[in-house]
Amino acid sequence: MEERSVGMEVKDIKIRNMKTEDFNDNEYLEKYIAELRQSGMNVVTEKLDDVINWGRSNSVWPFTFATSCCGIEFMCVAAARNDFARFGWEVTRNSPRQADVIFVSGTIVYKMAPVLKRLYDQMAEPKYVIAIGSCSISGGPFIDSYHVVKGVDQIIPVDVYVPGCPPRPEAMLYGMMQLQRKIKLENFFKLPKKPTVTADGNTEGGNK
Amino acid sequence: MENLEKIILSLAPDAKIEENTQRFTATIAPEKLRKVAEGLKAKGFDYLMCLTGMDYKDSLGVIYHIAPSNDEANVIVLKTSTPDRENPNLPTVSDLWEIAYFYEREVYDFYGIIFTNHPDMRRLFLREDWKGFPFRKDYDANPALNPIPEKVPSVESFENVPTYSIDKDGKLVKKEYPLFSKDEYVVNFGPQHPSTHGVLHLRISLEGEIIKHIDPHFGYIHRGVEKMCESMTYPQMLYLTERLDYLCGTMNRHALCACIEKAAGIEVPARAQYVRTIIDELTRIASHLIGWACMCNDMGSITAFIYGMRDREKIMDIYEETAGGRLMVNYYVIGGLAADIHPNFQNRVKEFIPYMRKMIKEYHVLFTGNPIAYGRMKNIGILSKEKAVALGVTGPSGRASGWACDVRKIEPYAAYDKVNFEEVLHKEGGTFDRYMIRLEEIEQSLRIIEQLIDNIPEGDFKAKVPAIVKIPAGEYYQRVENARGDFSIYINSTGDKNPYRVKFRSPCLSLITALCPLCDKEKIADLIMISGSMDYVIPCVDR
Amino acid sequence: MSSGEIFIVVFITAIILVSAALVIAMLISPRSTNEQKGEPYECGIPTRGTSWMQFKIGYYLFAILFLMFDVETVLLFPWAVIMKSLGVIGLCSILFFLFILVLGLAYAWKKGALEWK
Repeated sequence: MEERSVGMEVKDIKIRNMKTEDFNDNEYLEKYIAELRQSGMNVVTEKLDDVINWGRSNSVWPFTFATSCCGIEFMCVAAARNDFARFGWEVTRNSPRQADVIFVSGTIVYKMAPVLKRLYDQMAEPKYVIAIGSCSISGGPFIDSYHVVKGVDQIIPVDVYVPGCPPRPEAMLYGMMQLQRKIKLENFFKLPKKPTVTADGNTEGGNK
Repeated sequence: MENLEKIILSLAPDAKIEENTQRFTATIAPEKLRKVAEGLKAKGFDYLMCLTGMDYKDSLGVIYHIAPSNDEANVIVLKTSTPDRENPNLPTVSDLWEIAYFYEREVYDFYGIIFTNHPDMRRLFLREDWKGFPFRKDYDANPALNPIPEKVPSVESFENVPTYSIDKDGKLVKKEYPLFSKDEYVVNFGPQHPSTHGVLHLRISLEGEIIKHIDPHFGYIHRGVEKMCESMTYPQMLYLTERLDYLCGTMNRHALCACIEKAAGIEVPARAQYVRTIIDELTRIASHLIGWACMCNDMGSITAFIYGMRDREKIMDIYEETAGGRLMVNYYVIGGLAADIHPNFQNRVKEFIPYMRKMIKEYHVLFTGNPIAYGRMKNIGILSKEKAVALGVTGPSGRASGWACDVRKIEPYAAYDKVNFEEVLHKEGGTFDRYMIRLEEIEQSLRIIEQLIDNIPEGDFKAKVPAIVKIPAGEYYQRVENARGDFSIYINSTGDKNPYRVKFRSPCLSLITALCPLCDKEKIADLIMISGSMDYVIPCVDR
Repeated sequence: MSSGEIFIVVFITAIILVSAALVIAMLISPRSTNEQKGEPYECGIPTRGTSWMQFKIGYYLFAILFLMFDVETVLLFPWAVIMKSLGVIGLCSILFFLFILVLGLAYAWKKGALEWK
C-alpha cells in the first residue's frame, strides 16, 4: 500500500497542463516523502488535504524582497508578459507576517544577512524560501569577495534553487511550479518542522 | 592645460606636475591641500567628481578629480598622500564640496584614512564592528576575523558619530556625539521596503509627518567589486560592470571597454562603435522606462508599472535576438562586439522607434495630466543648480535643475559626435521636472537611434586583441553618460595583466545624498516621490 | 417573524460565526514561535525608542475632522433609505442639517485646518 501510494503521490501531483514526467528532479520529491514517512508524518493525501493543498499552493504570496539584479527579473515575472498572477502569486506582501514565500533574489552580503534572518524569522509558518540566481545559491560571480555570503542556505533553509544570472522569468516560473509540487505533498495539520541553520552554515533538525 | 598649471603653481609652488597623462595631474603635499582646495573652489572649480583612495604600498593617499561646472572637460587631478600607515590623516574638504562628506567616509571605510574636522567619520559601507580596512594591500582577508554577523547592530552603534581633529601638539583627538537626541522619533525606512529601489536604509527623524533629518546607511549590497577587480584580468572585469548598475549595464560595460581600449591603444572599428551607441541608447530608453514605471508604481499607479514593463520587454527582445541576454546583455568585449548583429536587428529597431513614440503619448495621457500626480509632483523637492553641483548630481536629475552636464556633449565618445540631439534642460529642479525630463530624454534617444540605424558601416565588428590584455603602466580614465549621470572609471595599472586599482564613480551616490537636503521640511510621503524621481539604483552606490 | 426577532437571530448568528472561526483556528492550527516574531517589524531593523511619546497635535485635528464628517455620512443613511416617504419636508430638514455642517467645513477650510502644518 505504501509503495503504491508513493508512486501515486508523485505521479498524481497536478500542475497546470504539465505532466509529472516533464519535471526534472522527481527523485527529490520521492526522497522527501520517504523522510516524512520515517518521521511519522502521514503523507497519504485524502480529499481534504488535496483541497487544502490546492488552495495553498495556488495562492502563495511572495514577500517583496529584492537586493539586486535578480530583483528586476522578479519584477518582469510580475509584469504583464510573464505573469505570475496566473498562478495566484501576484499579491506581493510587504510585511513578512502576511507573506508565504520569500524569493531571495540578489546577492546577500554580510551586512544584509542578519536583516534577512530577522525577516525570515518574522514570517509566519508555513513559509518557504526560493533562492533565485547564482548569488543566493553560492555567491555567484562575487564568490571571491570579502563581504558576500556564499549562498543564502548558510543563513536560512532553502526549498527551491533557481540557477541563472539572472534566471529568465520562465526559469523562475518553473521554480515556482516546483515549489507548488512540494506544497501539494504536505499535510497541513502536521506540517514538517523547518530546519534551523547553525552558525557554521549547517542545517539541522526538521525534514528538509 | 597651461591655465591649470598656472593655477596650481600659484597656490602650491612645490607641486609636482606629471607628464604625458590623459588628464592634468599634480601631486601636492598634504599640508598644502586645504590651501589648494580653497583656491580652486574660489576659481570656480565647484564640481568634485570623485575622491579615490589609494594604497601606494609605502603611503596611503587620495586622488581628487575636480572640474568647473561650466567647463567640465577641464578636469584637474590632485594627488596627495601621507606616509603614516598607523594613523593616516588628511584635512577634510567637506565644507568646500558637500559631496566630499560621503566620499571621505568611503575612503575611511576602505583605507582607514581619517579626515580631520570631518563632522561624521563613520564607515560608509561596512559595519562599524568590521576589523581592518579591506582595500589596503596588507589587508588580512581571514574570514574568521569578520564572520557573518548574527544580529543587526545596536542602535548606539548607528548613532554615535566620531569626529577627529588635530590639537595643538599635532596629535589626533577623537570626540563622539550622538546623531539624534533621545526624544527624537526615528523611523527605519528600508532596507527591505518596496519603494527604496534596492536595499537602502534611511533613518529618518520625524516630527509628525515632516522630516527633520535623514541619515542614509549603505552597504547592504556592498560586494567589494573594486577589490575583486584587482585580482582579475581585464576581460574578467567586464562581467562585473553590468552587475553594478544593472538597469544600464551596457553603458557601464562600454565605459570599461573604452577605458581599456584607449589605454592599450586598440582601435575599435566603426561598425562596433555605431552598434555600441545604438544599444546604449536602447538601454537608456529601457532604464528610463523602468524608472518611470517604478516611480508611478510608488505613487500607486500599478497600471503605469505594467505599461512601462511591457515596452521594456520589447527592448529586451531586441537584445535577446542579437546578444542572447535580457538583463545582462554581455555583448561588448575589449576591441568591439562579441558577435556581429543579427540580420533582423535593424528591422526590429526601426519598428520599435515609432511604436515607442506612440507609447510616450499614451504615458502622458495616462499619468502626466492626472491632477493627483500633478499635485504630488509639482513644487516638491526643488533642487537648485548650485546645490546640484555641490552634491555632484549629474544625469537627468542634474539637467532638471538646469546644469548642462551631459557627458555625451562634453567629452563625446563612440559615435556621439556624429549625431544631432538636444540636451534637455529644465529650470526649476522639482520632482515634476525630473519626471518630465526622463520622458523627453527617451525622445532624444529615439532621435539618436534613428540617425544611426541605417548608416551602420560595414566591416569588422571586433579589432584584433592579444590573448592576454595588458595595458602599459599609468592612469587611465573614461567618462560615460549613464542613464543616471556621469559614470567614470579610473584604472591605475602597473603594466601587469591585473590592474593595481580600479575605481568606479557612482552617479547614484550623489542622488541619494541629495535626499538629505531636499527632503528637509517635506512630508514623508513626498520623500517617496522625490526618491522615485531621482531614480537611483543601490548596487551602483555600494559597488 | 417580526423585525425584532429577525434582528436577534441575525445578531446571534453573527456572534456564532465569528467565534466559531476564531475558536476552530485556535484549536486546530499548527503553532510556532520564535523570539523575532514577537518583535515589531520595521523593515528588518529593530525599532528605536518607545512608542509612548508625545504626538503632534495635527493628527488629532485630522482625526476629529474625519470623525465629524463620517458621523454626518452615517446620519444621512437612514434619511436616504426612507427618502421617498418623507417627501419635501424631509428634504428641507436634511438640507438644513447639511447646511450647518457645510458651514463648519467652510470655517475649517478658511482657518487652514485642512492643510498639514
